[in-house]
Amino acid sequence: MTYTAKILVVDDDEDTVELLTKRLSAEGYDTLEAFDGEQALQKVDEYGPDVIILDIKMPRIDGYEVCRRLKSSEDTRMIPIIMLTVKAKVPDKVKGLDIGADDYIPKPFDYRELSRRVRYWSTVKREVEERVGEIRRLEQELIKSERLAAIGQTVGSIAHYIKNVLFGLKGGVYLVNVASKEHEPDSLQTGWEIMERNIGRMSDLVLDLLEYSKDSEPEYESCVPNEIAKKVCEGLSTKAGEHDIEIIMDLDPSLREVVLDPKGIQQCLQNLVSNAIDACIFDPSEGKKWAVHVLTMREDDRAVGFEVSDNGCGMDEEIKGHLFRSFFTTKEGRGTGLGLLNTQKIVKQHGGTITVDSEPQKGSTFIIRLPFRDVTTRGSMA
Amino acid sequence: MKKVLVVDDDADVTKLVSKLIERAGYEAIVAKNGVEGMGKVREDKPALIILDVVMPKQSGIRMYRELKTDELFKDIPVIMLSAIAPKSFFRSQQVLDEFRGQSVPQPEAYMEKPEEPEELVELMKKLLG
Repeated sequence: MTYTAKILVVDDDEDTVELLTKRLSAEGYDTLEAFDGEQALQKVDEYGPDVIILDIKMPRIDGYEVCRRLKSSEDTRMIPIIMLTVKAKVPDKVKGLDIGADDYIPKPFDYRELSRRVRYWSTVKREVEERVGEIRRLEQELIKSERLAAIGQTVGSIAHYIKNVLFGLKGGVYLVNVASKEHEPDSLQTGWEIMERNIGRMSDLVLDLLEYSKDSEPEYESCVPNEIAKKVCEGLSTKAGEHDIEIIMDLDPSLREVVLDPKGIQQCLQNLVSNAIDACIFDPSEGKKWAVHVLTMREDDRAVGFEVSDNGCGMDEEIKGHLFRSFFTTKEGRGTGLGLLNTQKIVKQHGGTITVDSEPQKGSTFIIRLPFRDVTTRGSMA
Repeated sequence: MKKVLVVDDDADVTKLVSKLIERAGYEAIVAKNGVEGMGKVREDKPALIILDVVMPKQSGIRMYRELKTDELFKDIPVIMLSAIAPKSFFRSQQVLDEFRGQSVPQPEAYMEKPEEPEELVELMKKLLG
């Protein structure tokens, strides 16, 4: 065993320091000295002692303060501190223990007693260190294997998606080839359509993956939530119109300029409204008047709410359970299965929430709630 | 005319395979998940089934086992057509066989996407004679 504990002795009384370091060295410990609080903190920082013997009454930074600082820092709170003082009164003892001192020895002390305490605390420190080290190592291993598993899973899902797209492309090419050889205008049309859609799916995947893997913070700036909602609805009105789906906006006029990430929020709304339209398109009911409602609302003075609801096909419990799972899609090959995940990611980065309510055949409602900052308080943001 | 059922949640795949089925001279029937697929099997008694594995609602793994353990349908040939590697599919069958104490026969063919469309056409013709 080559383990030698490092003991830091802190006291403004030079005689005490000298006596203690001499005797501790004689017992085989490495010793460090400090004569005031500031020096003590410096030595801790520099040498990382295993046990600290700390006097309370010192000029400037006293022992309580040194103890408080060391115990409140993640790096130093594991170092055992033995408080040493003439103030052997109960209230002082309690104060010392309250701020995290591990032990307490009243002056005048018997060296043999102090020596035993030092031996005890240096053993504790060593054992704690060994266990913490082991836990850290296991944690690192776990993080690494989880990350590898996540990467493996993601790569598998991407490969699966691409294999499907490739099959579509090969099939499209095949149809176009046989159509031109054997003059089948119908196959030519189908072949082209399939190829076009699968090229679209490929670019959807690339864009969604880039967003999914992006680790950046939201880019906060002042914006008007109602305008974002309007922009999204206008952009999707053609698609909705083609399928006889009405988009109805109900925007809260009391919502004014706030600070959010407008691009991120626009993307979230784009996803939700586009999903709502798809839910209507996929609804097999007949003679229904489909509509997508887009609501904005100011919730007290701290949050903005966006609600997107549709009366489309709705979802059963099973599908609802898979909603935020990556690469899960019910869009018959038209979705990447990353859209809602990206929406959720952006909402979470804003410190907001997303909730879902849905019933098969009746429709779905998605609500995003985002805490916002007023334009005036923007200066206080980090 | 012999009927061929294609079960896949990807609308482009069902469109493409339907076209291949029709060009080969058969009638194409389409379903987009296992539940719908079993419905079509009962309704239309297809001569061949082309079945995907990963689908929402009911997967191809379940539908396949339902088919092959049903006296009425177990003799309908099945071509599995999936982006899932055959190894994974056969492993899942083996696990389910052991778990349930069954011995479900293997599919007539397994094609991994992106298989060449010609191969699928050839295989279809071979199985339907």
